[in-house]
Amino acid sequence: MEKLKKKIGSFSFWNWVIASIIFRLILIYFPKNLNLSSRPEVSTPLTSFRRLAEGYWLKQSSMSSYAGSMYHGSPLLLSLLGPLTVKRIEGQPNHLLYSLVSVIADVVSAMLIRATGQNLRLAYLRSLESLDLVKQIDVSEFLFSGDIAALIYLCNPFTIVACVGLSTSPIENMAVILCLYGACSRLIPLAAFGWVIATHLSLYPAILIIPVIFLLGCGPDSPPRKLFLQRHQQKEVLNQLKLPPGFSWGPIIHFAFWAFLWSVYVLVLCGISLKQFGGLWEMFKSTYGFILTVEDLSPNIGVLWYFFAEVFEFFRNFFLIVFHVNILFMILPLSIRLRHRPCYLAFVYVAICSMLKSYPSVGDSALYLGLLGWFVNELADMQFSLFLFCGYVGVSLLSPVMHNLWIWRGTGNANFYFTTAMVYACLQIVLVVEGVSAVLNHDRKLRILITGKP
Amino acid sequence: METFINPKSLFHLLLLPCLLLYSSIAYNSSPVEAAMHTNNWAVLVCTSRFWFNYRHMANTLSLYRTVKRLGIPDERIILMLADDMACNTRNKYPAQVFNNENHRLNLYGDNVEVDYRGYEVTVENFLRVLTGRHETAVPRSKRLLSDEGSHILLYMTGHGGDEFLKFQDSEELQSHDLADAVKQMKEKHRFKELLIMVDTCQAATLFNQLQSPGVLAIGSSMKGENSYSHHLDSDVGVSVVDRFTYYTLAFFERLNIYDNASLSSLFSSYNPSLLMSTAYYRKDLYKRRLEEVPVTNFFGSVMETIHTDAAYKALSRRNSGRFEDEMSLDQSVHHIKRRMLIKVNDGDEIHDINPELLQGEEGASKCPWSTFRKKFQKAENVDSLLNYGLVAMIPLLVISTWLVQ
Repeated sequence: MEKLKKKIGSFSFWNWVIASIIFRLILIYFPKNLNLSSRPEVSTPLTSFRRLAEGYWLKQSSMSSYAGSMYHGSPLLLSLLGPLTVKRIEGQPNHLLYSLVSVIADVVSAMLIRATGQNLRLAYLRSLESLDLVKQIDVSEFLFSGDIAALIYLCNPFTIVACVGLSTSPIENMAVILCLYGACSRLIPLAAFGWVIATHLSLYPAILIIPVIFLLGCGPDSPPRKLFLQRHQQKEVLNQLKLPPGFSWGPIIHFAFWAFLWSVYVLVLCGISLKQFGGLWEMFKSTYGFILTVEDLSPNIGVLWYFFAEVFEFFRNFFLIVFHVNILFMILPLSIRLRHRPCYLAFVYVAICSMLKSYPSVGDSALYLGLLGWFVNELADMQFSLFLFCGYVGVSLLSPVMHNLWIWRGTGNANFYFTTAMVYACLQIVLVVEGVSAVLNHDRKLRILITGKP
Repeated sequence: METFINPKSLFHLLLLPCLLLYSSIAYNSSPVEAAMHTNNWAVLVCTSRFWFNYRHMANTLSLYRTVKRLGIPDERIILMLADDMACNTRNKYPAQVFNNENHRLNLYGDNVEVDYRGYEVTVENFLRVLTGRHETAVPRSKRLLSDEGSHILLYMTGHGGDEFLKFQDSEELQSHDLADAVKQMKEKHRFKELLIMVDTCQAATLFNQLQSPGVLAIGSSMKGENSYSHHLDSDVGVSVVDRFTYYTLAFFERLNIYDNASLSSLFSSYNPSLLMSTAYYRKDLYKRRLEEVPVTNFFGSVMETIHTDAAYKALSRRNSGRFEDEMSLDQSVHHIKRRMLIKVNDGDEIHDINPELLQGEEGASKCPWSTFRKKFQKAENVDSLLNYGLVAMIPLLVISTWLVQ
C-alpha cells in the first residue's frame, strides 16, 4: 500500500516537473518574454539581463565591462553567459538560449532541493528513532519534504517569473542550493564550490558559512542534543551508537581548505579577465562596493531605495551601516538558538537577506519559498499561514498595479509603490518570525513527549 | 618561417651600424633641430562676415581645397569661417561658392568641414586655437593638436589695416597679439615651422612684431597699400576672389602632390603689377633657404607609402616619425640612401617581432617568461584562457567530489 502510494506520489512529482518546464517554455515563446525583464520586481541592477548584455558588449569593445556603471556582476558570468546574449537563432525568440539556461538551472536546483530534502527527511526519521519516539509520532503521515520543496520551487510563480524574465537569479539560487546540498551530503568540495560561487555572484550568501559549518560539524537538522541526553538518561542505557555525534572540526578544516582553493581559483580567473581594466580592486568596487553602497536607487520590492533617496549626504554612510548591520546582528542570536537545525538556519538567513538586501527581487523570494518546503513537517502548526499566503498573492498582484499607476499613468506616486514594498517586507518578517517560533514549538513538543513535562 | 627570417635579420644587423653612422653624419650636416618634421597642420581663418565679403570666404575655401588636395586631412585643418555665404538668401546659387566667374569650381562641395563657424570666429577663439588653451569641454576637432614636429600653415584673410586685422566687424586682432601667441606657441613647442600668409589691406604690418624663430610670413601688401579683389562676378553680384589668393591658387593649380616646387618659386611668382600691391615676405626669422623648402612642406602633407613584408605592428610615435620623416630629411640626402634607411626601420620592426616568434632564441636578454607574458597579453589569448579555466571548473569539481567521497 505504501509502495503504491509512494509510486503514485513520485509519478505525480515528475508530472509536475515536466508540466512546469513546459509552462516555462510556453511563456518563453510569448513575444518579448511578456516584458517581464523590464519589471523592477524581476530585474534589479544586479540581476538584469540587459545589463549583462551591455557588459558583454563593452568587454567585446575592449573596454572595461564595469564602465558606465551598467554591469555589476561577476566577470565569469560575462564569459559564460555573454555569448548567449548575442547569439540569435532564426525564427526563435530573441533570448531563447539564455532562457533555456535559466530553465536548466531551475531544474537542477529543484533536483538538488529534492535530494537535500530526502536527506533531511531521513535524518529526521533517524533522530526520531534514536529518541524512541517512532511509535508516538505517526511517521506515515510524514510528507515527502524533498518532493514538496522541489515542486514548490519549480511551480512557484515567482520562480517562473524570474526564469522567464531573464534575470540571473536562477543561477545565483542554484549556487546557494548547491552549497547546501553539498553540506548536507557531506560533499565538502561541492559545498565549498557552491559557497564560493554564491558569495562571488552576490555578496549575501557569505553568511551561509555558519549553517554550512554547523551542517558539516554536526550533521543535518535534528532535535536539540540535550533531548538525546535526556532520553538516554531516562533509559539508563548509554548506547553511544544511538547518540548523534558531537561537533567535529575535521570537516570544517577540509571545508576551509577547499573554500580557499576555490576562491583562489575564482579570483585568479577574475584577475586574468580584468587585467587591463584595473584588476580585482575594480571588480570589488563595482560588485561588492555597489551592493554595499547602494548607488542605484531605482525602485524595487525592497525598502532601501525609498529611504536612501531622501537621506541627507551627511548621514548616508551612517544609515548604510545601520541597514547592513540589520542583517549582521541577527546572525549571532539565530545561530545560537538554531544551531541544532542548520538547514532551517540557512532558510532563515536566506529569508532575512532576501528581505533586507540592497536590491531584492522575486528571484530571491523564490529561493527561500522553495527552501520552506523542506520543513513542511516541522512547520505544520505554523500560525498565520493562510494570512501569509493571501498576503503574498495580494502583494504580487498589487505591486505591478502600483508601479503602473506611479510611472505610466502618473495618477499615483512613489508612496503607492513603496507601500506594497513595505507590506511585502512585513509579510516576510511575519513569515520568518512565525516560522522560527513554529520550529521552536516543534522542538518543545518533542521535549514534552520525551520528558513528560512542559 | 624561422629560417627565412634569420638571414634577413642578420643582414639588417650588419647594415644597421653602417647606416647609423651615415645618418648621424647626415643629421649633423643639417641645421641643428631638436625634432623632425612629422606632421602638417593648417589653420585657415576668414575674419569677415556679410554677403559683400563673399571673396574672403571664397579665398579661404580655395586655400582649404588646395591644402586638402595636396594631402592634409580634415582632422589637421582648423577652418574658421563665418559660413554665411553659401546659404545666404542673396546667393543666386544656393549651397555653392565660386572663386571664379566661370563657375568651374564649386568650393562648397560635399566635404567641407568647418570647425569654427558663424559667431565662433572670434579673436578669443583664434588665440585659444593657436595657444592650445581651451576650456575642457572643447572637442578635439576644434583644437590645434600640433607638437614640436609640426609645420603649420596659418592663412588669414579679411579686412585689415596698419598692425591690425578686423574680426567679424566687431573686434580686432593686433600684431602684438599675434606675435605673443606665436611666442607662446614656440615656447610650448607647438610648431617646428610656421608659415603665416595674410591677404588683407596692409597685410605685412600684421607680422611686424614677430620674433620667434622658425616663422616665415608673407603678406599681400605693404604698409600704406591696399589689397584688391581680382574680379567681379556679375552673375553672383560680388567680387569672388582677391588678387593675392588668385595668383597663389594659380600657382598651386599647376602643382600636384609630388612636385618639388620650392617656396622661393611661389614667392617670386607674385607680380606686383598684377597684384596691384607688393607681396612682402619676412624671412629673417626663418633659417632655411627658401629654394630648398618645397611648398608641400606647408601646403600639403606628402607621405611616402612603404611596403613591408612583415606583419603590420602598431607603431610607436617614434617609429612612425621615422617613416614620415623621409620627405623632410635634408635635400642633400641621396634618394637611394633614404630607401636604405627605410629598410633599416623595416629591419628594426622585424627584429622587434622576432623574439615573439622565436620564443627567446634570438636575444639573450628576452627570457621565456616575458615572451609568455607578451603572448598572454593579447586579447584572444586571455579570452580563451578564461574559457578554458571556466570549463575546467566542472571536471575539477566532479573529480574532487568523487575523490573525497
